[in-house]
Amino acid sequence: MNPTSRRLALLALAVLPALTAGCVSPGHDLYLFGSLNPKGRVAGARDTALNGVYRRADDGSFQHLGINYPAMLAGSFDPRDSRVFYVATINGVLCTRDGGRTWRIGTSWDMTEPKGVMVDPNAPDTIYAALPDGLGISTDRGQTWTRRENGLPARGKYTQVVTVDRTKAGRVLAGCETGIYLTENAAQSWRAVLTTKETVNDIQQSPHDPKFWLAATQSAGVLASRDGGLTWQRIPGLSAEHAHYNIAFDPTHPQRIALGGWTYGLLTSEDGGATWTDRNAGLPAKHRVWRTAIDPDTGRLYAAVESEALYISDDFGRTWQNGGMTGARIQSFAFVPKAAK
Amino acid sequence: MNRLILSCLAFATATLLTAQPSFEAPPPPTAPVQDAGQRHEAYLKRVDEVLDWRAGRIDITQPDKHLDMAAIAVLLTRGEHYDVCSQRVIEMMKDPGTGPFWMFPAVCVAYTGRDKLTPEAQKAIREAWRTTRQLRGDTENHWLMYYASLYLMAELYPNEPAETWYSGKSSAENLAESREYLVHWMDELTTSVGQGEYNPSHYIGEYAIPMLFMATWAKDPEMKIRGRMMLDWLFAELAANTLNGVLRGPNSRTDEGSVIERWNALSSYFSWLLFGNTPPTGGYGGWGVYFAPVAKNYTVPEVIYRIATDRSGDYVQRDRARTRRYWRYSDVLSPPVYKINYLRRDYAVGSIQGIVNDAIQGHAWDVTWAEPDPRGKHNTMFSLHPHSSMRAMQSQFATYPEAMITAVTFEGKPSYDSPDKVVGASSYEKIFQDLDTVIALYDIAPGTRFEHINGFFSKDLVNVTEDPSGWIFAQGGRTYLAYRPLAPYHWIPYLHYNGGWAKEKLPLGGRLLVSPHLKNGTIVQAASVDEFADFAAFQAAIKALPLKYSLEPKPTVTMKTLRGKQVTFTYGQTPVVDGTPLDYSKWKLFEGPYLNAEVGGRKMTITHGRLQRILDFNTLTITDHVAKSPTGPYQNRLNSGHAETGPCLAFS
Repeated sequence: MNPTSRRLALLALAVLPALTAGCVSPGHDLYLFGSLNPKGRVAGARDTALNGVYRRADDGSFQHLGINYPAMLAGSFDPRDSRVFYVATINGVLCTRDGGRTWRIGTSWDMTEPKGVMVDPNAPDTIYAALPDGLGISTDRGQTWTRRENGLPARGKYTQVVTVDRTKAGRVLAGCETGIYLTENAAQSWRAVLTTKETVNDIQQSPHDPKFWLAATQSAGVLASRDGGLTWQRIPGLSAEHAHYNIAFDPTHPQRIALGGWTYGLLTSEDGGATWTDRNAGLPAKHRVWRTAIDPDTGRLYAAVESEALYISDDFGRTWQNGGMTGARIQSFAFVPKAAK
Repeated sequence: MNRLILSCLAFATATLLTAQPSFEAPPPPTAPVQDAGQRHEAYLKRVDEVLDWRAGRIDITQPDKHLDMAAIAVLLTRGEHYDVCSQRVIEMMKDPGTGPFWMFPAVCVAYTGRDKLTPEAQKAIREAWRTTRQLRGDTENHWLMYYASLYLMAELYPNEPAETWYSGKSSAENLAESREYLVHWMDELTTSVGQGEYNPSHYIGEYAIPMLFMATWAKDPEMKIRGRMMLDWLFAELAANTLNGVLRGPNSRTDEGSVIERWNALSSYFSWLLFGNTPPTGGYGGWGVYFAPVAKNYTVPEVIYRIATDRSGDYVQRDRARTRRYWRYSDVLSPPVYKINYLRRDYAVGSIQGIVNDAIQGHAWDVTWAEPDPRGKHNTMFSLHPHSSMRAMQSQFATYPEAMITAVTFEGKPSYDSPDKVVGASSYEKIFQDLDTVIALYDIAPGTRFEHINGFFSKDLVNVTEDPSGWIFAQGGRTYLAYRPLAPYHWIPYLHYNGGWAKEKLPLGGRLLVSPHLKNGTIVQAASVDEFADFAAFQAAIKALPLKYSLEPKPTVTMKTLRGKQVTFTYGQTPVVDGTPLDYSKWKLFEGPYLNAEVGGRKMTITHGRLQRILDFNTLTITDHVAKSPTGPYQNRLNSGHAETGPCLAFS
């Protein structure tokens, strides 16, 4: 370990207060993707903090995993083996087959800056990547990548998120600049199912009802689909003036949903999206929630407040406590079944 | 005691040697050196000046403080202190950087030291390329540095398996990917549709240095000649767009320092080094030092040298480039940029058509004048809409809307969200230029951040006169200037960010003309003092020209220019010159007396007098011709000793 790494490792341990051990999920590992020094960084600089992948340890603290990489945006795991996972980074899609010890940049020069990546749980050799100029697919576990964009518009296909339907292989929804596009044949063809004027930032499928989907957008509010993403209706009561960043369903409670964003902070619903409550009390004054997530084992709510810290709530947002990761920009969460190892 | 004496001696020696002779000396003559031998000798002397200066800053007894990668490359080139360099390399490679700005210096050390560093030091370099993730970045110059560096390292260490590289790819895979991108950048982009980072004031180093490395060290003869040809291409463009070595006109990407003090840019270091016609910038441009260890492997062709140093005749250079990539909010990934530079002995006028080529660092137009000594001179006049926009950020960056503006102000672009900034592009600015007349029109949407335009008035202007006619007259150097604001304005002091990382603004002098009106415009005309009996005569000539303008419903100007052109320009509409609409579709990749290339042609013809060089990327050939007598479409005009004064070719 080089001097900086040693220094950073000690720093990371120091700044990561252990979460309550009793609250650690028994069934899932929690991985975070993000950076601890998002501000002031330029290409070529030495990193002054550990960035990239963090995994929650048994004592509840977060331990840095593998390489120090400041621009990891999202990750997705092979359901057959959690040591195999894929990460969207500024260089492209990285793949590890040994739990983060070694990595390969699977994409080439012609794919850059993916914002999202997702393994098809029913065809796990197939991975999709959301690219700023379209969509990439790998059918060989991330070794090689190609574009499959038939049906996407020539322009307006900036893709922020790609979400695979867990009930059917090859059924994927892509959140793009101009709306939501659906494929039902592993990206051989796409069709628009929602048109928007600006980017669709997140698409999530309910863990309780596979036909129920939600989409967070930059300027069209939050939309719901009850037919598997074929049709969408805007959810009343949620503003469309500013961007909504992401959505989290509570796997432990079918009526609970969380919504995160820069302007609105953390909003929750406990009636399936019918009504929403501001849950920013207890978060920092600048409650810029870059990402939210809900623990599938405990229902613990997470709010990654940009450049502040990771906040946790065990009463669904009514009270919060600082969960460490001070100064971090957490780009995404992944809960991975421990049994998958 | 002995140690103290030695330390004092070392300090004194270092102080003596840290002088930057050409930086501190009077400006060099701008006239060309006719004798090729003398020219080359002077070039080698300048290269040695950089090496001497950098070596002179080193206290070899404190390698941890004095030996960075530039210093090591210089020492290795000079054949000095191999053991100390080796030990320092081993130390540095324990804590490497993570991206293209680390990669190309590391390549420089790896190659200059491949037969000089100890095996342990070379192994340390190699190991860093296994262990440390290298970010590719998100700009054109990032990618060029990244792939040129990876290419050369993969050639240096061929046939090695994937697990020995940070990329997780084998030497062969790294080589293939790098080569594919580099060829794509050359063949499909730069030599076909133009650079996205055209005429950069600083980033020219980020292109020239990796290309010099390729030209010098690539084993594959194809990549070697490609590097050489790209150097000629880049420096030909630099030569044709400079006046006395100082880059003029629009820049794809620049910063406050280079926009205001036009000489103060890395491009001036390259002009000094290659052409010897302007002083180098302080510290030889910083990054510029990395060019020096290898610079003796390149000699600028005489035809390019002649273009850089000949301003005996006026000329228009009209080129095409492209914008930075628009990920969103555009029908085209990289819309074309139409740029024009009109260069005369005393001044230059340059512009693009008014497009957001780079939201943060774009510079769209200016009139700049020659100064006998350009150092510290703010020899420019222009206006701009100081736009700050989340939508603009989102169009060119893969980012959420809210965070980016704050982020860029932390990342070397402190002025982006400042209302008094002087750098940056706006979608609310449209520009027309004909020779030395520029019309910039603005139609700013209500609610836009910000709702005014800024006009820059230098501390180095004299005789600034706000005439009752509405014109503001001034003189800069040997250039008369006429600036016409189309809406009411007031003045504020100009405050200057001294470099991209500066945190404070400095009162260096000068003023900003601030016009807080959404529908707005600026007209600027320039002329040499030689063209008029006196300043009053210039003013009278300007005031006598017919001019009509209106701001509603769209800003519109109809005028006769100082050069006799009848121009009508309405915001958002095609300009009309002497009854003929301007036709951008005919714009070539390069068109002028010196540089010519067709869009999609992958071939540039560089001409000066009887000399001609053709860079043909289709055949990877460099062809030199010497004509028995000057030929070519522009040559008669050049021989006549005066510029084209008719319509720009693409207009006629």
